[in-house]
Amino acid sequence: MRRDVQAIVLILVGGAVLRITIGDTFLNYVQEPMRPWLLLSGGILVVLGVLALIDSIRKGRAADDEHTPHDEPHEHDDGHGHGAGGPRAAWLLLLPVLAIFLIAPPALGAYAAARDVNNSAPTSEAKAPPLPPGDPAQVTVAEYVGRAVWDDGLTLVDRTVEMTGFVTPDPEGGWWISRMAVACCAADAIASKVKVLNAPDLPADTWVTITGRWVPGGGTKTDTAIPLIEVIDLVEVPQPRNPYE
Amino acid sequence: MSASPTRESKGYRPGSLEILAIGLVVLIVGQRWLVGLFDDPALQTGATIFVSIVVQALPFLVLGVVLSGAIAAFVPASFWKKALPKNPALAVPVAGAAGAVLPGCECASVPVANGLMSRGVAPAAALAFLLSAPAINPIVLASTFVAFPGEPMMVVARFIASLATAVIMGWLWLRFGKAKWLRIGPRDHLVGSSSWHTFRLTATHDFLHAGGFLVIGGLFAAALNVVVPQEWLLAVADQPILSVLVLAGLAVLLSICSEADAFVAASLTEFSLTAKLAFLVVGPMVDLKLISLQAGTFSGKFATRFAPATFVLAVIFSLLVGWWLLT
Repeated sequence: MRRDVQAIVLILVGGAVLRITIGDTFLNYVQEPMRPWLLLSGGILVVLGVLALIDSIRKGRAADDEHTPHDEPHEHDDGHGHGAGGPRAAWLLLLPVLAIFLIAPPALGAYAAARDVNNSAPTSEAKAPPLPPGDPAQVTVAEYVGRAVWDDGLTLVDRTVEMTGFVTPDPEGGWWISRMAVACCAADAIASKVKVLNAPDLPADTWVTITGRWVPGGGTKTDTAIPLIEVIDLVEVPQPRNPYE
Repeated sequence: MSASPTRESKGYRPGSLEILAIGLVVLIVGQRWLVGLFDDPALQTGATIFVSIVVQALPFLVLGVVLSGAIAAFVPASFWKKALPKNPALAVPVAGAAGAVLPGCECASVPVANGLMSRGVAPAAALAFLLSAPAINPIVLASTFVAFPGEPMMVVARFIASLATAVIMGWLWLRFGKAKWLRIGPRDHLVGSSSWHTFRLTATHDFLHAGGFLVIGGLFAAALNVVVPQEWLLAVADQPILSVLVLAGLAVLLSICSEADAFVAASLTEFSLTAKLAFLVVGPMVDLKLISLQAGTFSGKFATRFAPATFVLAVIFSLLVGWWLLT
């Protein structure tokens, strides 16, 4: 890969990172605290790329003046796939750039949630603390699963809860309200699912906020149990700013 | 843009700049059609996982190449000779521990070790540094900490298992290594007209190289997450020894840069922490990219002995340390 092409690849990669970080798109992939680091590293790449481009333009002029061949005197093949001037593997860096600019992959949704056979991360089996006050009480989908599956729903009895998630169709009919939980980035996301009773069918990936009450069933104390909720109220909502829990 | 002015005198041959330009035009014109191709939930999920691994790892990679470029440009090689004990058996652990403070991208570590040897550092010590610098430097440990929130012992385990492997390999070289396996050349890899220029050349080169392999790792992780049924992964992950060997082998194939590999490991949610540890210990020391680098820099005889021995030691220490700290 030639020096000027390397420079353009650097600028494209840096530009793609800046493009998703200025705005909220990056939250589909990574978490909020990464923002300053993404801005910094995107900026460094653009600067390195611009400087390399200036270098190669200058070198091109000098070569033109002296009628010497355009070559890279300081490099040699050191056994990791260099042609005249740069690592060939660098071409691959165009793939994430293309993915970001052309496909703009959305936040993980119903497909990923349905694929995950385990439901939520196994919670410690210690007794759950009482639900936060409020009627309805705000819970995350993962928290509801933890309380219902690993604590026999004891803390959910006689309470109304509210949670936000997206629709994942249940192959056996109806749908689950689901949400992906992210430890570090979307690649390690784990799905939480709750079977919704008494609700109209909705298309996959519709975001909803529901209020409802826990009803027994769905199994307890296993990784694959999917607890139930009886819906009292349901509204469609836009995708939250941070799609993950 | 700089089309090379000397091109006409040599006769026209399409170069990488032309390929890039034509490719970008085709992609921009065909965007609507391309986006249609990806209008499939499985492909979109794969694309999301791919982009998230690359984006999450990128700042660590950039920080890593900036620091290793700075060390290549601003720390004179004579410093190393002065800093290391004269006795090679003592120099090995000191050089191994030096890896903990000096970030070096793994692709950079091979030429750096070569440079150390050519300036009179004992080969065993230079090899211990070659193994430990990419495995246990602060940026790698920080990225591991970020990738495994709630599992701080992962960082400790990675540090101990990697350092142990590096030091033992150094001592093994001292005992069994033969000088004729090493072809030590002058380190003229990326030397610019000034320190600042050397820094830029090194950082740019290291980033492009490591970034390419990061993309391969990200693609593979995305494919594992989307193409392979989760039941299969769970079946392998349930076998304690097999799962360790599978992830260790995967690390060799994927050749991900050590600043980025923790995020790929973390995405393998089905596997045990010990198996992920093996991925993290083996990856920075033995992978296809490093083997080809070592063969190119030192010799094929060197690479065919050094890489398998390192692999075996790395797996053993991952099992031991994983059993000790992660269960």
